[in-house]
Amino acid sequence: MLILGIETCTPQTSVCLGTEHGLLASAALGRGNAHGEFLTPAIQFCLEQARVDVAAVSGVAVSLGPGLFTGMRVGIITAQALAHARRLPVVGMASLDLLAFGARHVRRLVCSVLDARRSELFWAFYRASPGGLQRVTEFRVGGAAKLAGEIEALADDVLAVGDGACANRSLLESTGAEVASNALAYPSAHALVELALPRFIREETQRAEDLRPTYIRKADARISWRNRGALLGGKPTGVPDAKQVS
Amino acid sequence: MLVLGIETSCDETAVALVADGVHVRANVIGSQVDQHRPYGGVVPEIAARAHLELLLPVLDRALVEGGCTYDDVDAVAVTVGPGLIGALLVGVAGAKALALARDLPLIGVNHLEGHVCATQLELGALDPPMVALIVSGGHTSIVLLDADGAFSTLGQTIDDAAGEAFDKVARFLGLPYPGGPEIDRLARDGNPAAIAFPRAMLHDGTFDFSLSGLKSAVVRELRRRDAAGVQIDLPDVAASFQEAVVDVQVRKTLAAAQAHGVERITVVGGVAANSRLRERMTSACAAAGHRLLIPSVGLCTDNGAMIAAAGWNRLVAGERTGLDVEADPNLALAPLPLRGAGGLPGAGGVGATPP
Ligand SMILES: [Zn+2]
Repeated sequence: MLILGIETCTPQTSVCLGTEHGLLASAALGRGNAHGEFLTPAIQFCLEQARVDVAAVSGVAVSLGPGLFTGMRVGIITAQALAHARRLPVVGMASLDLLAFGARHVRRLVCSVLDARRSELFWAFYRASPGGLQRVTEFRVGGAAKLAGEIEALADDVLAVGDGACANRSLLESTGAEVASNALAYPSAHALVELALPRFIREETQRAEDLRPTYIRKADARISWRNRGALLGGKPTGVPDAKQVS
Repeated sequence: MLVLGIETSCDETAVALVADGVHVRANVIGSQVDQHRPYGGVVPEIAARAHLELLLPVLDRALVEGGCTYDDVDAVAVTVGPGLIGALLVGVAGAKALALARDLPLIGVNHLEGHVCATQLELGALDPPMVALIVSGGHTSIVLLDADGAFSTLGQTIDDAAGEAFDKVARFLGLPYPGGPEIDRLARDGNPAAIAFPRAMLHDGTFDFSLSGLKSAVVRELRRRDAAGVQIDLPDVAASFQEAVVDVQVRKTLAAAQAHGVERITVVGGVAANSRLRERMTSACAAAGHRLLIPSVGLCTDNGAMIAAAGWNRLVAGERTGLDVEADPNLALAPLPLRGAGGLPGAGGVGATPP
């Protein structure tokens, strides 16, 4: 069973082709918001290097977030369109689960933390269990101080992983938690394929059109005529919004 | 050659199947108007979210309507700009994945070029030179497509787009979103000469537009009448406002065509659905001896068929777009491949069949 994994919920874009026997090919780019340019060529690269035709892919796994909105959407629509065009089953997984998977051999409480921009973080806690890691909280969003408060309130030893943890290292370490190195900063498509494979084997899959990103935060519904005009090729106007006029 | 066209630059998720650049097999539009209505305009983040939810269902409907499968598709065309970045990204990423999954050539299309190419779907092959008035919620510009296939922007709005002005005035008048069709409907019962709203920049010698002053003039006039206790007749206000917008657009477009010695004029974009603009442009062109090409309303507003048509023009000329193409919110118009390997349908003599 050949699974394609796509992870684009952080500044890193990561792609992996894998089977029950392990990784076949992978590619990753950490150059910020380059998901759109890099993702499809990276999939093509992995297929070519692994010497397999796209028709040989038997399923597509994709990370659904939480994470950066545009990255999430690029990854999900790519997985959806690929699966649609080849009539493939899909499996969606949470970015924070993939991130925690990198610390699965640790016997402590693991806290997955991703940068949510706008001075906020996404996080969730995980505990080692016989089958691997078990998520023990909901996905949360909030400031670093709120996360530090949650960690302090726990009696457990905590290992924090992810770019959101690294960016707040001193604050989180002041709570007694250990913060993992940059090597565990981002969720990987390799972890995604490894976690999704059993689901494909058990046929616990989804239809491509049913995949939805995990936004957590509500849409920014502010409408700025000024920005919109500039985005559409016009010039900023200095004209008040319609709301202010009326 | 069957081209699948994908358009997601603003608030319509659209997919079409077009054969040989002219025969529309399917043209499906998933509208998000209901989601933007509470805000009185297109909200970029809501548009991006909606495109993601709509693209696959719209794609499915297009394939069913066209009576075909991916096996019948020969190429994928997609809008890469200009437009809202988050919205564009969904269509571009989706198109690239389809191209990779089915090993199909990909062609990136400029949205404005797509609007101009909508004419070839109904009115015969593109036959430059022509002057195009492109009017929508995001654009108001006059573009020249010269005999060599080069585009040049002769003029554009220096502030609001025409569709934006319609939305803002409609909102002020308490009409629902989108405002264009509402004002058009209301204006049919009004007198376009009732209120002399200003025609900004009409005699400035440029082909540029300014619409924000007109909106303020409407607001001022209504407040003045209200304060003076004068009865306000909404149809008259709508008709007079619409007339001021249309008047400047018609006169400047004809002046641009005359200045460049061009016979053919086209009007495209969402506002080209406005009945008064169509009417005034038709009579003005007839009086001045211009040939007017206006696609039917469904092909004036954003759609996938125009993107497939524009894509086909470039595909037959041998152009291809790489899988690393990025969405570009400020994409500029590039010359049409008139002198390319295949040339335009006009040059090659492939005519459109009248609907
Ligand atoms: Zn448009």
